[in-house]
Amino acid sequence: MSPRSRQVLLAEGLARQGHVAPAVEACYEALRLDESDPLVHVLLSDLFLAGDFYDEAIEAASTAIELDPDCAPAFLSLGLAYDRRGGMWDQSILVWHELAEVAPDLVTAHVQLGEAFAAAAFEEEAIEAWRAALGLNAHEARAMYNLAVAALKKEGMATALPGFRRAGELDPSQDDFFFALAGVYDDGAAAPDPIDVAPDRDSRLGAAFALAFEEDYFSAVDLIRLILDENASDAEALALAGYLYLKQDSVNEAMAVALRALAISTKTPTAVYVLGAAFAKRPGLNRNAARVFGALAKAVPNQAMPHVLLAESLLGLQRFGQAKQAYLRAVELDPTFVRARFGLAAVFLTEGEYARAHHEIRRAAYHDTRRQGLFWRLYDDYAQGRE
Amino acid sequence: MPTRKGGPRQPRERVARPDTATPPPRRASTQAAADVAQAKPAQRNQLFPAGASLYPLDTETQSPEDWYGRDPGEDLDELAKARCALVRVFVSWRVIEPQVGQYAEEAIERLAGIIEAARSRKIQTVVCFFADDRHSELTDVTWGKRRDPRNDSYLVQREAALIQKVVGRLRKEAGVFAWQLGNEAFIAGFTSSDELETWVATMREAIREVDPTRPIGLGADAETLFRSNGVDARNALESCEFAVSHVTAAYRAYAAEGPLTSGPSTYLDSFLLRHAHRGRPVLLDDVGTLALDMSAGEEASYLRSVLWGGFINRAGGALVRRLRDMDTERREPYFIDPFETLVGLMDAEGVAKPAYTELNKFVRTVARIDLKAHTLLAERTAVLVPSERYEPLPNLAGLYDPRSCLHAFIATKNAHVPVAVIGEDDGFEEFQVLVVPSVFALADKTWERLGTFVQSGGTLLLSYGGGDAHPASRDLFGVEFLGDGGPREELSCRVAQPDVLGALESFDARFEVPNFALLSGGTATIVATDAQGSPLLTVNQVGQGRAVYIAVPLERAIAQGDPWATPAPIRHLIREVYGAVARAAGCGAPVECSAAEVEVALFQGEADDVVVLLNHSDAKEEAVLTLERRVASISDVRGGTPVAVGSNTFTVGLEPNGASALRLTYA
Repeated sequence: MSPRSRQVLLAEGLARQGHVAPAVEACYEALRLDESDPLVHVLLSDLFLAGDFYDEAIEAASTAIELDPDCAPAFLSLGLAYDRRGGMWDQSILVWHELAEVAPDLVTAHVQLGEAFAAAAFEEEAIEAWRAALGLNAHEARAMYNLAVAALKKEGMATALPGFRRAGELDPSQDDFFFALAGVYDDGAAAPDPIDVAPDRDSRLGAAFALAFEEDYFSAVDLIRLILDENASDAEALALAGYLYLKQDSVNEAMAVALRALAISTKTPTAVYVLGAAFAKRPGLNRNAARVFGALAKAVPNQAMPHVLLAESLLGLQRFGQAKQAYLRAVELDPTFVRARFGLAAVFLTEGEYARAHHEIRRAAYHDTRRQGLFWRLYDDYAQGRE
Repeated sequence: MPTRKGGPRQPRERVARPDTATPPPRRASTQAAADVAQAKPAQRNQLFPAGASLYPLDTETQSPEDWYGRDPGEDLDELAKARCALVRVFVSWRVIEPQVGQYAEEAIERLAGIIEAARSRKIQTVVCFFADDRHSELTDVTWGKRRDPRNDSYLVQREAALIQKVVGRLRKEAGVFAWQLGNEAFIAGFTSSDELETWVATMREAIREVDPTRPIGLGADAETLFRSNGVDARNALESCEFAVSHVTAAYRAYAAEGPLTSGPSTYLDSFLLRHAHRGRPVLLDDVGTLALDMSAGEEASYLRSVLWGGFINRAGGALVRRLRDMDTERREPYFIDPFETLVGLMDAEGVAKPAYTELNKFVRTVARIDLKAHTLLAERTAVLVPSERYEPLPNLAGLYDPRSCLHAFIATKNAHVPVAVIGEDDGFEEFQVLVVPSVFALADKTWERLGTFVQSGGTLLLSYGGGDAHPASRDLFGVEFLGDGGPREELSCRVAQPDVLGALESFDARFEVPNFALLSGGTATIVATDAQGSPLLTVNQVGQGRAVYIAVPLERAIAQGDPWATPAPIRHLIREVYGAVARAAGCGAPVECSAAEVEVALFQGEADDVVVLLNHSDAKEEAVLTLERRVASISDVRGGTPVAVGSNTFTVGLEPNGASALRLTYA
C-alpha cells in the first residue's frame, strides 16, 4: 500500500485539531486526487460524525468499507453513526459484530453491540455482550450501567441500585469530584516523594492529596499520620483519611473519621462528601446519605456530581420524582455526564417512559464514545498497517 | 300528620296549551336556519379539513393486485365518525393499466366508487397518482421492463395518458378535492431538479387538459426532499396550487433526533410547515409517528402536538399518516423502511387507538373556531433560511443551517412571538424583524437588501456564524470585526446595559460554542460582554431601524449541543433577546405567557378573540397569560359556562402535551 499523500496528511492534521470545515474541504480535495483511498472516506465519515450528520457519515464509512473490508475505523464510524441516528438497529448489530471480529480487544464494540441488541429487544444477547465487555475490561463503567439497567427492567430498583453505584465507582469522575472539593486538579506535575516533603502541615497535606490523587494510598496515609500526630483535630486531614478508608472499603472507619472531622469543622466539604459516600455504601442508610448529599449539593450547586449522588440516594428511598429533578439538574450542568444520563434513564424506566429512557442511554453512549477518542487509535493502527 | 316540611304539596298549576286556532307567527326561514345552526354546532371546520390516508393494503400478505380489494366503507365510516372531511387514496398504475394502453375499467370504477362512498359521508378526496408505499407496487407496471418512470420518455408518456384516463373519469365527481402527482418516496427517485420540473410540467399539462380547475399538488416537501436526495423542488412546487409539508424519518434523525413528545421534536412539523409556506396553502401531511416502538399514549400525544401546531401555524388542513395499522408479518422488531407507513389511528383489527380519539377531539374543537370570523395575527417576524443551505458539500453550511434555523424558530416561539420562515430570496417587506441565525455567508445583494430593510425601520437580528465578517456588516452593526476567537467550552455573559435587550442576567455556563467573534467598539451599544469584556451582544441604531448582533453562533451551538439539555441561562438569554427585539419593533408577543414551552396563538375576531395554547413539554404547565386588554370572561370554544376574569391576567393549566382553545371576551 502507498503511504499517505500530503493532501491526506493535511486533512488528517486539520481533523485532529477539530477544524471540521477546512478538514472536510481538504478531504474533498484529496478525493479529487484519488477517490479510491479508504483513508479519506473514513476521515470524512468521522468528520461528519463530529457534526452529527449521520447519513453522510454512513455513506462515507460504507464507501471506505467497500474499498477495504478490513478498515476497522470505518466500522467504528459506521456503527456509531447507525446508533446515534437511531432506527437502524439491525445494521448496527451487524457492524458491531463485524468490528468485534476485526478488533477483538475493542471493549466499546461489545458495549455498543449490547446496546444495539437491547434497543432491538434482545435482552439476553445484550447482557451477554456487556458481560463480554466486562471480561475484557472489568472497569468498563458503561457495560456495568447497562447491566444495572437490565436488572432494573427485570427485577426492579432494589436489585439495580447497587449496580448503578458499582458502575459509578468505576467511573473516575466521583474521585475527581472529591479532589475538586479539596482544590486538587491534575496539573501534569508528579506528586512529590514523601521523603522530600517539608515537615510542615500544609506541605504534608498538599503532598498527601497529590499522592492520593495518584492512587499511592500508603504514602498518603504516612503523611496524614504525621499531620494527625501533631494535631489530631485537623479536619481536612481527617477528611482525607476518611477518603483513604473508603478506598480500602473500610466504611465504618471512614464514617467515624468523617463525623469526627465535621464535629471539628462543619465547613469541610471533603468530610461531607466522605460521610455521604460512606452512608451510601451501607444498605439502609439512604436517608442519611440523601441528607448529606443534599447539603453538599446546596454547598456546591454548580457541580453535577453531588446532584447525582443525591439522586442515587433518593432512588434508594424510592423517591423517583425528586431523584429525577436532581438528575435533570446534573444533566443541565453537564450534558456529557454518563452517570447522570444512566440514572435519569433508570428513573424514566420506573415511570414507564421507555422512549425517554432509551434516549438517555443513547445520549450516554454518545458522550462516552466521543470522550474515548477511539477513532484515532483505530485510524492510526490502520494507517500504519497499510504503510 | 304532616309528612313534609311545608305540608302537603300544592297542586301544580296547569299550563294552558297554546291556542291552535291562532298559531304563532312563523319565523323567517333564514332565522330558522340560523336557530338550527345555533342549536347544532358545527362538526367540521370547512376551512381546516382533517383526515387520513387510506392505503390500499391492510396486511403484508396481500398482493399488489388486492389494491383496495376490501370494501373501504367501514374505514370511511370510521373517518366520518371522527368528523373527518378529507381522505387520500392512491392510484395503482399497475392495476389500472395491466397491459400497455389497456385499462382495467373495473379498477377505475372501483376508485370512482371509493370517491363516491367518501362523498356520501361528506368526505372530500385527494387522489394521488404515483406513489410508492413499499407494499402495493403501485407504479410497478409489469410491462415497464424496469425502466425508470421518472425519466423514461415512453413511461412518462404512459403516465400522462393514465392521468388523463383517470382524471377524465373522475373530473365530474364532486368528491374529488385535489390531485396529487406523487408521494415523497416516489419523488425521491428523481436525480435532478430539471428532471423533476419537466416531469411535473408534463403531468400538470395532462391534468389541465381534462380538468382546468382543481388544485394540483406535488406531494413532496421541498426541505425534506432536498435533504434526502439533494434535489431542489422549489421551482417545481411553484407551479402547483398547494404544497405539502411533512417530517420524514431521515429528516427527524437529522434535525431533531430525540424524544417525540418534548423539546425540538414537537416543533419540527410546524417549522417545516412554515418553511413550505411560500404564499400557497400547505397541507400538513403524513401526521403521526413513524416507528413501531411508540406507546399508544405517545402516539396520541405526538398527534395532538402536531395537529394543533399545524392549526396555529397556518396549515390549510391535515392528513394523518394512515387510518389503520398495517398488519405486518413477523419480522425483526427493529426493522423499518424509512418510507414505510405502518402506524395508523386504529389497530389492524380496526379497534380505535387513543390517537383516533385525539383526532376526533381535535376536529370537533377546531370546528368551533370560525376561521372566517377569527383570523390569526399576522407574523411580522421571520427567520431567514440562507441560500447557502442549498450549497453542496464540501460546504457544510447546507448541513448546519436548517438546524440553526429550527432552533431560531423554537426560540421565537418560546418568546411567544408570531413567526414565519422565509428564504433569502424572498421579500422582506411584510416583516418588521428578520432573524438570521448563525449564518456563514449571505449574498452581497442580500446584505444590500438588509441594509435597506434596517434603514427603513426594520430590525435585523443576526448571530455570527464563523469565518470572516462581510464588509457591509461593519456599518450595519457598528462594530469592528477583529477575527474569530475560536471554540469555547464555556459561555459567559456579563450584562453591561440592563433592559436594552430584555431582562438579561449575567451567567457562566458550560456550553460549547464553535466560534466567538472578537469585536471592538464602534457606534454600537454593547449590551453584554463575555467574562473578558469582549462584546457578546450589541445594538446599533441605523436610520430608522436597529441591527442587533450576537457574537456567537448561539442557535447552531444549541443545535449541535444537546437540544434537550440546553443550560437554562442560555435558553433564557436567547428567549429574552428574541422577545425584546420583537417587542421593541412593535411586533412582540400578542399574549404574554409565563411558560416558555407553551406556544400561544391569538385568533382575533370582531366581538371576541380565540387563544390557542399548546404545551410542547411532557410535563404539566401552569401558564399565566397577560393581555393588553382587560378580559371579561373566558370559555372553552366547545361551549360551557364562561368564567368571569375581570383582569388582563389569568392562569390556564395544561396537561403534558396538552392543548386548549379558549374564547375571550373583553371588558
